[in-house]
Amino acid sequence: MSTPPAPLLAALQRWHRRHGRDLLLIAPFLAVFALFTLWPVLRSAWLSFTDYHATAAPRWVGLGNYADLFADERFWRAMGNTLGYMAAVSLLAVSAGLGLALAFGSQSRWHQAARIAFFLPSVAGGVGAISVWKWLANSEPYGLFNTLRGWAGLEPVRFLGDPQWSLVVLVAVGVWSVLGYNMVIFVAGMRAIPAHLYEAAALDGATRWQRFRHVTLPMLRPTLLYLLVTGMIASFQVFYEPYILFGTVDAVGGPLDSALMLVTYLFDYGFRQLDLGYASAVAWVLTTLLFALAWVNLRLGRAGEAT
Amino acid sequence: MIRLPHERGSRWWWLAQAPLLLLVASVLLPYYWMAIGAFKTVPELVRQPPTFWVQKPTLQNFYDPGWYEGLVDPDHWAGIFQRVSEGFGFGHYYLNSLVVTLVVTLASLLSASLVAFVLVKKPFPGSRALFGLLLASMMVPWEVTIVPNFVTVAQLGWINTYPALVVPGLAKAFVVFYFRQIIVAVPHELVDAATMDGAGTLRTWWSVVLPLLRPGLAAIGMPVAIAEWNNFLWPLLVVNDAAHTTLPLQLGKMAGNLTYDPQTGAVLMAASLAVSLPAIATFLFFQRQFVDGLTAGATKG
Repeated sequence: MSTPPAPLLAALQRWHRRHGRDLLLIAPFLAVFALFTLWPVLRSAWLSFTDYHATAAPRWVGLGNYADLFADERFWRAMGNTLGYMAAVSLLAVSAGLGLALAFGSQSRWHQAARIAFFLPSVAGGVGAISVWKWLANSEPYGLFNTLRGWAGLEPVRFLGDPQWSLVVLVAVGVWSVLGYNMVIFVAGMRAIPAHLYEAAALDGATRWQRFRHVTLPMLRPTLLYLLVTGMIASFQVFYEPYILFGTVDAVGGPLDSALMLVTYLFDYGFRQLDLGYASAVAWVLTTLLFALAWVNLRLGRAGEAT
Repeated sequence: MIRLPHERGSRWWWLAQAPLLLLVASVLLPYYWMAIGAFKTVPELVRQPPTFWVQKPTLQNFYDPGWYEGLVDPDHWAGIFQRVSEGFGFGHYYLNSLVVTLVVTLASLLSASLVAFVLVKKPFPGSRALFGLLLASMMVPWEVTIVPNFVTVAQLGWINTYPALVVPGLAKAFVVFYFRQIIVAVPHELVDAATMDGAGTLRTWWSVVLPLLRPGLAAIGMPVAIAEWNNFLWPLLVVNDAAHTTLPLQLGKMAGNLTYDPQTGAVLMAASLAVSLPAIATFLFFQRQFVDGLTAGATKG
């Protein structure tokens, strides 16, 4: 082995003296980041072109996984469910969040308390809250939702056992969990609107509706767009809600796969059937769709600004 | 600011608020149902129509002194703290969740703030590229990484260990990004003064930068801790023994076993309450930090 020329060695030494210790300090972070964030991206891309069941070494199958995926009826079922769920949750949660922000936007004690109440699912959501939903939606007569239906003179239904109801229940849970978050963001956005705009509008004799339509709404546009995009991205990746509400020992998709989502589909193939190559392909299709979604939203946002 | 249909002070104001009160009540309904369900006896839990207030409060769903292993009795059942699997019970899962949440939150916040500090105030050749890499990694959805990470953890022999629960979540790029925004605004003089006094990078970070980051630490720590406390999918993949089970895992198992045996429902409500309560309590104490942290992306982005 030849020694590096002296100037290079000196430069290296200087570099080491200046930055060596700093790099050592951030090395643990970088090691974990490389091992569990960067490397898996490359590995996942590679695995998606292989047949890999965790026991034998991955075997190259080219586009085989992707071909299987697009030919699988269950995949399209999951796709349809996910898109429907995403559209319903993001639109409902954003519009209801805006409505609630208008209704509960003041600084009064009661409105502040109400905002805390709506925000609670963002904090104490998770598996605990979903378990309660499962109990509420119980098909037995003592299930609260069916009791409420009874009061309204309606027949009890099997919320978690009848395919017609699966998405309804999931959308209700989804909206419930992000409603308060959207509301709080809208309230912050409304606070940031300069008061003189409203004063000017009032001087021009604008009605309350006109003030909303021509001042509040345009000024909230970036907020609205942000919530819509992040809401869509999050609901597209929904997992534990359908898994807890509809998962059983032998299926994850609920009755007739009516609650099967793309991520539960990935989980089913990747971690129940240990078809890891196939699951990686699902992950990349999902990623592509997420990027497409973000891109379309950004384009729509820009197009809207131009007009 | 849009005013309500009925301005405050008018005597119709409260009437206008009545439907809103109903809305608030319906959002809180799951929590209310959980809170009363946890203290109902099983016969009361399945009463029809249901009771909207606990008529005979009981702690049996948590711990039933009258129950013993093997007893079959409609009036006695095992509370959550009496259900033991492989020698580990609810208290152990609680401890697991608590420790994992605290360790991940503290370690990821500290290391991310150190990285942000070095990248901003002690740049080295390649530090900009590194920051770009961190930013880009935030766009990769987690679905992409779980499959290979599961394989990595299995190959490391970490299945059913604490490192599997903790280590993969320690390098959080979005926290680095969050801290970077704050550190960029810290005057160079402050850092230089510390360096003049002979403080190294580590020392400067600890005694100059961290105190400045305190509000930020609290704000970003909340969502990180909440996400960790509720983390379900990752533990589901890497843990399948009782010794390393966390609360969401146990709860998921209980909800999965929710049969029409109402005793499972009673215990499930108690467990849900036990899991949600720390989150709710912390939230009520640190409301401002919570809202700041959870809305950080919206107001800065």
